[in-house]
Order: sequence, then C-alpha cells, then structure tokens
Amino acid sequence: MVETSKPAAKNASATRTAARRAAARRKPLGDQPVSVMIAAMGGEGGGVLTSWLVNAARKANLPVQATSVPGVAQRTGATTYYVEIVPKPYAKTKPIEPILDLYPGPGDIDMMVATELMEVGRALEKGFISPKRTTLIGSTHRVYTLAEKMAMGDGRYDGDKIMEAAKQMAKRHILFDIERAAQDAGTIVNSVLLGAIAGSGVLPIGSKVFKDGIREEGKAVESNLAGFDIGYAYATGDVVELQTRQAIPKAVPVAPNDAAGKLKRRVEQDFPSETHAVVLEACGRCLDYQDADYAFQYLDRLDTIRKIDEGRGDGDFKITNEAARHLGLRMTFEDIMRVAQLKTRKSRFERLRRDVQAGQDHLVRTTEHFKPGPYEFASIMPKSIGMRIVDWADRKPKSARRWHFGMHIRSDTIWGFTRMRLLAGMRRFRRRGFRYFEEQEQIEEWLNMVRRAAEVSKPMALETVECARLIKGYSDTHKRGVSNFHRIANIVVKPALAAGVDVAGDIAQAKAAALADPEGSSLAETLSAMKAKFDGCDDTLQAT
Amino acid sequence: MERSFAKEVQSLKKGDGEIFEGEGILAVTKGALQSGVSYVGGYQGSPVSHLVDVLNDAKDIMDEYGVHLEICANEAGAAAMLGASIQYPIRGLVTWKSTVGTNVASDALSNLGSVGVTGGAVIILGEDYGEGASIIQERSHAFAMKSSLWLIDPRPNLTSIVHLTEKAFELSEASNQPVMVQLRILACHVQGRFTTKNNRHGRFSGNNKLEKPNFDLGKIALPPSTYAQEKHKWEARFPAAVDFIRKEKLNEFFDGDLNDAGIICQGGLYNTVLRSLVHLDLADLYGNSKLPIYCMNVTYPLIPEELVRFCAGKKHVLVVEEGHPAYIEDEINVILRKADIQTKVHGKGHLPMAGQYTSDVMQTGVAKWIGDINLPNTNRDGAGARIKYIEGLKASATKYLGSPVPPRPPTFCTGCPERPVFSAIKLMEKDVGKTHISCDIGCHTFSTLPPFNLGQTVLGYGLGLASSTGVAPNFDKRVISIMGDGGFWHNGLATGVASSVFNKNDSILIVMKNGYTSATGWQWVPSTPKQGDFDQSPMSIEETLRSLGVKWQRKVRTYNVSKMVRTLKQAMTTTQKGLKVIVAESECMLAKQRRIKAERTKLIREGKRAVRPRFGIDDDVCTGDHSCIRLSGCPSLTIKVNPDPLRTDPIAHVNTGCVGCGLCGEVAHAAVLCPSFYKAEIVYNAGRLEQWLHSLRQRFIGKFCSPEELRLAPRQEGVMEDEDATKAA
Repeated sequence: MVETSKPAAKNASATRTAARRAAARRKPLGDQPVSVMIAAMGGEGGGVLTSWLVNAARKANLPVQATSVPGVAQRTGATTYYVEIVPKPYAKTKPIEPILDLYPGPGDIDMMVATELMEVGRALEKGFISPKRTTLIGSTHRVYTLAEKMAMGDGRYDGDKIMEAAKQMAKRHILFDIERAAQDAGTIVNSVLLGAIAGSGVLPIGSKVFKDGIREEGKAVESNLAGFDIGYAYATGDVVELQTRQAIPKAVPVAPNDAAGKLKRRVEQDFPSETHAVVLEACGRCLDYQDADYAFQYLDRLDTIRKIDEGRGDGDFKITNEAARHLGLRMTFEDIMRVAQLKTRKSRFERLRRDVQAGQDHLVRTTEHFKPGPYEFASIMPKSIGMRIVDWADRKPKSARRWHFGMHIRSDTIWGFTRMRLLAGMRRFRRRGFRYFEEQEQIEEWLNMVRRAAEVSKPMALETVECARLIKGYSDTHKRGVSNFHRIANIVVKPALAAGVDVAGDIAQAKAAALADPEGSSLAETLSAMKAKFDGCDDTLQAT
Repeated sequence: MERSFAKEVQSLKKGDGEIFEGEGILAVTKGALQSGVSYVGGYQGSPVSHLVDVLNDAKDIMDEYGVHLEICANEAGAAAMLGASIQYPIRGLVTWKSTVGTNVASDALSNLGSVGVTGGAVIILGEDYGEGASIIQERSHAFAMKSSLWLIDPRPNLTSIVHLTEKAFELSEASNQPVMVQLRILACHVQGRFTTKNNRHGRFSGNNKLEKPNFDLGKIALPPSTYAQEKHKWEARFPAAVDFIRKEKLNEFFDGDLNDAGIICQGGLYNTVLRSLVHLDLADLYGNSKLPIYCMNVTYPLIPEELVRFCAGKKHVLVVEEGHPAYIEDEINVILRKADIQTKVHGKGHLPMAGQYTSDVMQTGVAKWIGDINLPNTNRDGAGARIKYIEGLKASATKYLGSPVPPRPPTFCTGCPERPVFSAIKLMEKDVGKTHISCDIGCHTFSTLPPFNLGQTVLGYGLGLASSTGVAPNFDKRVISIMGDGGFWHNGLATGVASSVFNKNDSILIVMKNGYTSATGWQWVPSTPKQGDFDQSPMSIEETLRSLGVKWQRKVRTYNVSKMVRTLKQAMTTTQKGLKVIVAESECMLAKQRRIKAERTKLIREGKRAVRPRFGIDDDVCTGDHSCIRLSGCPSLTIKVNPDPLRTDPIAHVNTGCVGCGLCGEVAHAAVLCPSFYKAEIVYNAGRLEQWLHSLRQRFIGKFCSPEELRLAPRQEGVMEDEDATKAA
C-alpha cells in the first residue's frame, strides 16, 4: 500500500501532471493494437469487466477482439481475459478488419491487470510485464493459495518480493489494495479496475465512454460508478494514502488492580527495557489466566533465563525475549476452562458481530462446537485419576475416540452461556488438575534444557526455546505437537547437551521437519538420519 | 444454467447486411440458422457448454423455424442424432467437447462415416486442448482420418467461423459425408463481429414434416453394403470433397514477395502465425505478409494440387500444426515426394512436438525458423533478438522473485457439498485404513488434488465404478468408486451399476448427487431437483438403483460428516456382499446460493424475517495449526496475520465468502479438531418477541460475562480483516 501512495506522494502538482500525462497517452498509436490482459479469479467479475472494455471500444467505433480462458474450476481457479483494441477507428467506407491475436504475448502487453498480488507474480513469471510497454494495475491484497494455507506453521509466500519485482519490471505500476477499495465503494473489484484502467490513460478511450457504458447497462449503476471513481483516482495519483484498517492502536489502560501494579513494577525493575513489551504482555496473560501468584511464578521462571543473558554481558536479551514469549504461551495452555473464559467475554461477542458483519439492528445467534474427550476430562481430574484415564486412552485410541461427547452450545442463550461461564469459573481449581501438573513438569524440563543450552551457545539456546513452537492446538493436534517436541528433545537436544556439542543447526532442521507434514514422516527420516550421525561420534551421545 | 444468453440470442434474429457483435459460439448458432438447419443437439462440456446453453435460450427462435433441440444423454446420443440425415435431405448440427466427447461418439460416427449422409450433417467440436483444458490431450484429427469425416479448422474470426459453418453443410451434402468443425477454447469464447444473412427454413422441419420413410439397403451398415460403402467412400465421396474444397476455395492463399519460402498453417492458428510475422516486420496488422502463407481452413482432407502449387519453386516451407502425431506435416511430405517437388518441409523441431502453440511458442518457433533458413532480405538478428527479449523478461522476473510463485490449483467451490464427502473419507481412513478409490470425471475429480489427494485412477466420464472392477477382487479391502449424478446418467448407470450388480461385485459406490452437471456450468440432468427439492426430480437415482437390484443403499446428506463417516465404515465392514451404494445428496452450492440469496434479499426488502448463517473462528482460541484447512480446503477458510503479539504463525480465519454450509463445524466436530469454530446466524427483521428475548439474554450476558483481560501495558489492538495483505505482517 505504501507503494501506491508513492506516485501520489509527490502529489498536488503530480495530480494535474498525471491527468495531463493520461491525456497525452491517449493519442492514437496508429496500426498497432493496444493489448490488455486481465488475470482474475472466479467471482471477481472479470467477464463483466471485459465486456465493459469491449463495449466501450465498439462505442468508439474501434476494432476490438476479446477472449478468455476460464480455469478448469471456473469458480476458484485463475481466469485470464485478453483484449486487443486498434486505436484507429473503422473507415466509414469499406472497413477492413484487422487480424487480432487470441493469445497474450510475453512482452506485448500494454496493460496488465491482476486482481491479487500472487497473480501479479504469476504474470511476471510468464514474462507478461515488460519495462518497454506494460502498465501494471495490481492489487496488493492476498488470496492465499492452498499450499500457503495448509502449512502447519507459516507457509505464506513473501509478498514484498512480488512488489519489488513488479516495480522493477513494469513500465509503470499502479499497485493498491483493490479489494479494500471496492469494499469502501460498496462494490466488487471489477468497477474499481475499470476506473483504474481509464485513469491510466493507456486505452484510446476516454473515461466518459466507460461511465456511459455502466449507466446504459443499468445494473448496480451507483455502486459501480463509485468504484470507478475510486479506481480512477488511484490511477491518476489523486489518492494520497489508503484508509488501511489493520492495526489501529488502542491503548488498553492498566487495570486499577494492585496485583497488576506490583507485577508491572517488578517487570520494570528486573527486566531490561527491550524485553518489556513481551514480558508485560505475557505476564498480564498469566494474571488473566490464573492469578497473581501464577504471574509472579512466570516472572521467577523467566528470571533464571534473564540472569544468563545478563551474565554474558553482551547487552543482548534475545533469549530472554523469545523465552518470555513462549513461556507465556506455555503457561497459559488452552484447556476447556481457558476456552470457556475466552468465549464468554463481552469483547468476544463484539468482535464476533464484527467478523460476521452483523448490522446494528440484526440479532446474532451463536453456536459453539465442543467435543470433549478422555484427555479433556483427565485434565480436570485429580492427578492420580487423570493419569489413569490418559494411560488407558493412549493404550486404546480407537475406543477412546468413542468417548468424545459432541456438544453444540448456544452461547447466546441464558442456559448455554451459564454452562460456559461456570466452566470458565472452574479455573480456580485448575491447579489440582492433572493437565496442570503435566504442563508444569514439561515447562520445567524445557526451561532446564534452555538454561543448559545457553551454556553451550546462544543459537542453541534460541533453537531450544523455539522448540516450544511445536506445541499448539487441541486434542490430536496437541498430542502430535507434544510428542514431536519430546522426540526432538530426546534424540537431538539432550544427548548434545550431555556432550556439550552445539547442534543448533540440527534442532532447527528437525523443527522444520516436524512442521513439514502432519503424518510426521519427514521428522522420522530427519531424526533417524541424525541418530546415525550422533552414533558416529561421541559415546556420551548414546545417553538417550 | 450458470449463464443466461437470453439477451444475446436476440441477435440471432438479425437479417441481411446487419452487423452481429458477440461471442464465437453464438455466431456458430447464427451460421446454422442461416444454413436452414432442421435439428440441433449436443452434450455440454467446456468449451462448448455455452453452445448448449445458447441453443436452450434460443428455444423460441428455434421453434419459429421448426428446429428441434435435443439435450442428449451423452455424445453417443448426439452423434446418433445425425442418423436423421442419412436417408433424408435434412440438415443437422450437433456439438460436444473433443476429444473425450468424440471418443464416446465414435461408435455412431464410424457407422455414419461408412453409410454417408444425404442432408448436411455438421459436428461442432469444442477442442479442449492446451491452457485451460480439463482433459487428456489428444487430436481430433485422428477421428477425421479413421472415419473419413472432413475436418474444418476455421480462422478464428467470426466472419470465417460463420462462413465455414455454412460451407460445412454444403460440403457435407456435396460429398455425402459428415463434417466436423473444430473450434479451440479461445475461438469459442472470442468476441468479434460479422455481417449477417437472413435465417433460412430447412427443407423439412417441425414446420414441414417428412411424409414417408425412404428405404435404401445401401445405406444400412450391414454386409454386403459395408463393402460397397467403403469403395464408394474412397472412389466417389472423397474426390467429391476434394473438388468442392478446391472449387469453393475453402483454403486461403496469401501471397508475399519473399517467394523462396512460405508458411502452411492450420486455419485456427493463422492469427498467431501472422502476429509472430508482425513482430519480425514481415507482415502488418491487416494480413499483408511478405512471406506467402497457405492457410488450411480444411485440415482433412488435404488438397494435393493446392499444396503442390504453393510449394513449387519454394526452397523452404514451415508447417504449423498443433499437437502430435504430425499427420499433416507427414502427409505434405508424401504429397511433395510423389509430385517430385524438392521443397524442404520444416515444422516439428522448430516448433515443439506437442503442446499448445501459444504466442511465445509461435514467436520463438517462427523466429528460429526464419533465422535457420537464412532468408534473403530478412533481418536474422531481429529474429534472434525477439527470442532473447522474451526469454530475458522471464529470466529477470524469476531473478527478482527469487522463488517460484505457488500454483493456484482448481478446487471445490466455497461450501461445495462434495467436499464434506472427502473429509469423511479422510476420517474413515483413520479407523479402517486407506483403500483404493476409483475416481470419475466431474468436480469431484478435484479430490485427487490437495488437500485431499484421494483417488488412484480416473478413466472417463461415468466410468468410476467400471474402472474398479479389475482392482476390487485383487484388493484386500473393499474398494470405493466415485460417480457424479452427471456421470451416472451419462454412462455409469449401465456400464457401472448394472454391470456390477450383474457380476455380483462386492464394492462400494458413492454417487455424488448435487443435481446438475456442475463442472460445465450446472446444466440439468434427469435427476435435477425442482427449486432445490430432490423429491421433485423428473427421475430418481435411488429408485433407479433399487430397480437395478441394488440391495444395500443409503442416502446421506453430505454435510453430515459424522453420519457419512459412520455409513462409510458400515459399507467397508458389513458382511453383506454385493454392490453397496451411498447416495451423497446435497444441491450444488452455487446453484443453491443463486436461488436462496435472491429469496433472502427479497424477504429482507419486504421487512420479513430472514436468517443468514455463517461460520467464524475465535482469534484467541485458534493456535494456528491449520488442521482444519487440511481437512477442508474451502476457499473461504483461509489464514490471516496473528493478532496475538506472542504468536507468530498465522491463524485460521473464515472470510466474508462463507455461505455457512456447516462443514467447518462438522469437521471440527467429527475430527475432534478444536473449539475455535462457532456458527453465527444473523437474523434480519426479527419479531418483537425474539427482539425482547434477545435483549434479555444480552443483559444477562452483559452482567455475568467473564472479566476482560487485565493488561499490564497498552497493546496494538489490530482489527485484522480477512486476507490481510502480507504488508500487514
């Protein structure tokens, strides 16, 4: 989005010059067709956009040809449209038909339109964007591909790369969040794009012709024209900056609660300023999750790490920072009480209404999907009983699966809400529960590894901290995470610590493998390979 | 139907000297009406699905001329329809996608090709080849040769397409053979214009019916007639066709002053050939080329006399022929050899053996050729420079991008009713283990792609079950076959179900009953529901199965994942032998949404009560593992930047596209995934009582809700919107 404001940044005069440039660009190019390629996705109205262009050209008595390749799945797949317009009107008498191509040619595109950032990248890859000819109109928003969404960690493609490439490769680039612009205009992307195309002045057709086209069609005229104007404004550089809606800073004041005050003070005394943001966030969460003692326990635990960083005396507290982050998350592990707590807040219902786009005068009914099973029950049982249940469930996963109880709770009704609220209230008994006991044990074990790793090397300590990232999710997902964590700890970290070898690289590799596939096959391969490697060297490594 | 041509079809009424502006397939229909066609038919399939839709929407115009429209059960039916033109002088036009459709049709086509026709019989082939194609890549040319059906491949502009559609009827009558007109994907969708003629009434039609049947044993495909027919085909009909094509000048000669060389191309590729010459300054936009071009609008049969005339005196010719085997290039070599012409024939080698001849492929190929033959007064470096330019662009883009852009494979639509079935199969596998799955043609073929990757084979339309009969007896678990309702009526009913029952096969069939042939734009099938009500389908798949003797039969609403999983387990484990059929029923979500959205807006406008369901995810409950996405892959189930400053991995997120199909909740439930999902029902124009109850509840919740998080420091409260730009990260 920053990019879009760029042509606008040198604004004011830029506006007028842009308009003038647009006019200049509209001079007839003679007997060479102006080529427009549109890379859209199903449901974005690319077909309508194309027909607008075609009709406008016909109105201007210009020879025009258009065609399209609908993706295999017309619904979701990428769809491309290709239009050629000859800037020289048909002769009054004996008009000759030019021979226009059906295929967009690399390097021959005058106007490339892509409705999403990744599609800009695709157009670049295929050579459709050239510094000689191509004016690029592209959206900066992302519609993530399945590959990116499926990743167990963060599989997103680096959008900045595409932005950079686009700016390098295009003769002129008009990049902005077209989807957002459309939402602002209360329309869909195609009318915004039409406006941008008109504004760019690449086509030998004035904006009036396009607007008339929309009016004559008579469908959603108002919103389409609104969209058109926004697009036109962006293309001519009239828009200085975008109204972006992400990250609106909202200071949440410290609660008038002495415990909170004490905690805050302690953090500010004991911890270096560069760690405050994270530590305060995490510490506050522990307070919210359980109580003040728990929050202090968090700080005590973190202190041991801080001391190590301090001891090194290089003024770098990266380990503390990362540990603070993960420790905060691990100490506020998601059990049913926590979920109930998060789902019974006023702010939650407000966010929910926003997410589902409910208007002021609309009622919203909400249904929660819970399916507690043996592990969830065990977690709230006393240690001894809980352990027995878990052992059984581990031994007989098939029959354990039968002991899940599906619940659809209407959290907007008095009875449904009450049940969840009571569940949330049970958190005061959390400390007696099996899950709590288990988690604390694991946290101590992990911190222990981190401390010892810090003696070996900073990178190793960081990697060991990062292992906590594997533990997330619920039921099966959570179990998988925990077991992956332990496998890496036992096969890679511990033996290395025993021998005092730096295996930061190996830990990182193993972690990546663990996040590669849910079946854990690549982790298995990686680990067995490493085992072999370790077996090769020092004997103390057999300690596993 | 997905798209309505109600407005466009009006232009089919245009008369002499008017200008028609529109899409290629519409122009073909106009050409047929101008030729006095008496019957039309076909089976939908990209890229000619729209042709079927157009014919549908043009019903009243068709009726005016007594033209009968048949929506055929499959391509075999469409081809058989042309039987009307064997004995009688009436013109017919049928259409389907090729080559798969032509495969299905080929039985009837062989017979037709043998006995020959009296009235003009024309087949419009939607050539689904190259970029955007959805089928195996083959050439229709082979069918033309084996059944001696003449093949027309018109230049891709409306004037040529319409002209050659008309000529196709004449050619068919002049040579007593059916004629195929091949239209590539882009030509089917091309927007252009041409000058129309008046429509004509067919000699016989619904308005002027035949009175008595002809009898001519010579036109029956039965020995000894068949031997006579073969002789007649090659001694009379073939020469007649060659004569007609030559006399009518269906192929075009474009002269140029560089007479040492020339290009021979299929009509459909002419525009791209010319453009590549324009780039080399060898031609202009209006078709004036320095290099002579012989444009074959008829690619079978070839016309030796014309080819000899074009090649004589040239040192080199380049044959531009898309696809492999290179039947045309090879035959040209033979023709020139026989005529003892020494012209060097280039083609495959300069141009790739297989694959679509897109702009850059053509440019590179032609430029390479021009460079190699070292043509006088052409700029060789220009040719080389052109290639470098194209490759340079791609290279530098790749450099800047660093890593290849991830593909966007096709997948099930938002809220598709078929997706839950595959989620269920995934879950079933957890208990019963993986088994062999024979897939079929249709939207459900996407099950083979991520995130499901389910399915071992795809053999053909309606052949899902049939393709399992070999593996089933050799597999230690029951194998599963998939079939859509489209495939069921197209072919699967007899080839699959009847045969399996007859052979007492012990396997499982899942019939995806979504009500339409949805992949082609939801055309109707015999079991299409009325206003979404399956009880009011003209024909019932369940009863059909019963009547075929299928004993074990279950009908499951696809969105009920838990029940689907249970039913699948039963089917896998039951001791009952024989074919087990699960009818997975739920209307195609696109068709459904189009209907109910309209209804809802109407209700809301009238101030009546309406409910909009949709799903959501609690940001702070989701931990960003994305298991839900791996079990669904719904386009509206996506990811967004994690608003939690302590977490880095993006969290799952339901975007505004959600139609509230319920799968998210069902999967989260059946798979015991996570409690982040909630279902929200937005109620419009609620009644007084409901309003009151709601406010009561709100007050209660407001009073007893959990306290807000105590923050020790201000925090960036990000209101993250769906599909946030990566910039936001």
